[in-house]
Amino acid sequence: MTKKILIVDDEVGITRMLKRNLEATGRFTVRTENSSVAAVTAAREFLPDFILLDVMMPGMDGGEVAAKIKEDKALSHVPVVFLSAIVKKEETEATGGKIGGSTFLAKPVKLEDLIACIETHIGK
Amino acid sequence: MKVAKSKNESAPSQTAIVRKENWLADWLQPNRSRAIILSVIIFLFIVAVGGLVFETGGTGFAWLHLMYLPIILAAAVFRLGGGIIAALVAGLALGPHMPLDVAKGLHQTPSNWIFRVVFFLLVGVFSGLMSNFLNWQIRRLKETNQRLFHAHEELKSAQMKLIQTAKLESIGRLAAGVAHEVKNPLAVIQLGVDYLKNTRTENTSEDTVETVQLMGDAVQRADTVIKGLLNFSRSEPLALVPLDLNTVIEDSLLLVKHELVKNHIALEKQLAGNLSKVELDQNKVKQVFINMFMNAIQAMGGNGTLSVKTSLQSGDVTEQNPSGKIVVLEIADTGAGIPEDKLDKLFEPFFTTKPVGSGTGLGLSVSRNIIEMHRGSITIGNRKQVRGAIVTITFPVPNPKPL
Repeated sequence: MTKKILIVDDEVGITRMLKRNLEATGRFTVRTENSSVAAVTAAREFLPDFILLDVMMPGMDGGEVAAKIKEDKALSHVPVVFLSAIVKKEETEATGGKIGGSTFLAKPVKLEDLIACIETHIGK
Repeated sequence: MKVAKSKNESAPSQTAIVRKENWLADWLQPNRSRAIILSVIIFLFIVAVGGLVFETGGTGFAWLHLMYLPIILAAAVFRLGGGIIAALVAGLALGPHMPLDVAKGLHQTPSNWIFRVVFFLLVGVFSGLMSNFLNWQIRRLKETNQRLFHAHEELKSAQMKLIQTAKLESIGRLAAGVAHEVKNPLAVIQLGVDYLKNTRTENTSEDTVETVQLMGDAVQRADTVIKGLLNFSRSEPLALVPLDLNTVIEDSLLLVKHELVKNHIALEKQLAGNLSKVELDQNKVKQVFINMFMNAIQAMGGNGTLSVKTSLQSGDVTEQNPSGKIVVLEIADTGAGIPEDKLDKLFEPFFTTKPVGSGTGLGLSVSRNIIEMHRGSITIGNRKQVRGAIVTITFPVPNPKPL
């Protein structure tokens, strides 16, 4: 059974490429959302196993979206990982991927790193 | 539009002012050879006036008053002592006139002569005291001038630093913005490359595989530049811990060991055993050291010696360094060295001597920022006796904390 991944990023190219890459593995079903405001509704409808959130987005930033998702009882257990252009790859490695209690992936993320991160959170 | 006159056009240069002021000071404070010449001139002047008085008929004539001139001159140049000596010499020069005056029927007694000598002495002493006072004033003016000159230089240097800081800050802000904007398209390309790699089939040509590989490498290179920009733009607070510098150096050397071996570079260590602990942010300082080691390795090409030396030295006691002690690290290579005209540009952001694509030009400016945040200093120059460059990094030794 494939795992459900929700990806939220205002950059259409990134969500499209992530979806294409992850689905090509045959292990994931991916839903993408380019609006942070619509992300919470999308999460409620899709009930993902894993959420990948861009940090800097117009409207609401990734942190605010994550807080709203965590408030929802049906979604509070879903791991949320942030994707950021500001954080560096070395920093995510040095801190075991966690900064201030949250897990971060640095852009440009390599597919193998993303899959490893997903596996860490929801298993293979 | 009205253009303001440049500073050089509107005001005489500092050198010209100093030169003008020195003209008078040079004559009033003569050096040894000039003092000898002046002494001879004054002596000859006294003898000449003595001769003139003798020739023109004795001390009763007005020419006698000319004798005051060499006395005043001697006092001006040699101050109080000079004035007194010149007055006594002038008095002696008039001695032989007494028999002549008597022969001419002029009424002359030794007391007349003594009277004249006393007058000479009075003029000598008074002029000497004036000269002493003038000299003291000149010295004071010179000192004030020196202080003003130094203050001006310090002000100029502080202004330059301020401009540089403002420039770096705006570059930093720009860099962070650019980094963010460039990372998103880079992420798309990276994911595209990953997709193409993962979906290739047996029918995919070698050219296509190579093209995708080259694209991936290019993304990594661009990402390295962006990381440099982010490093440069950040000024996070330091996590300072008292550490032994030698240990941090050893740890950093371990990380470049592979590069040393690969490039056949010998390592020469002279780590002092008596180093005081210094307050360091280990990760940041390591980043600087690795940067310096890698620069040295790259500068040497494929053979050479990397020298790493530490020492404890005495520096100036300043607000930045209250203990007055510094720990010094010297990293020297045996490469070609740095062209003299490039030395003062090394720490400028985006300046690099490496081939295009090999360096971001930010490593040294980031390193300097880190070292300066530690209240230390970093300088780069060429080695004196042998070929190669040398980097000198200092850290202040903190005062021991009271129990």
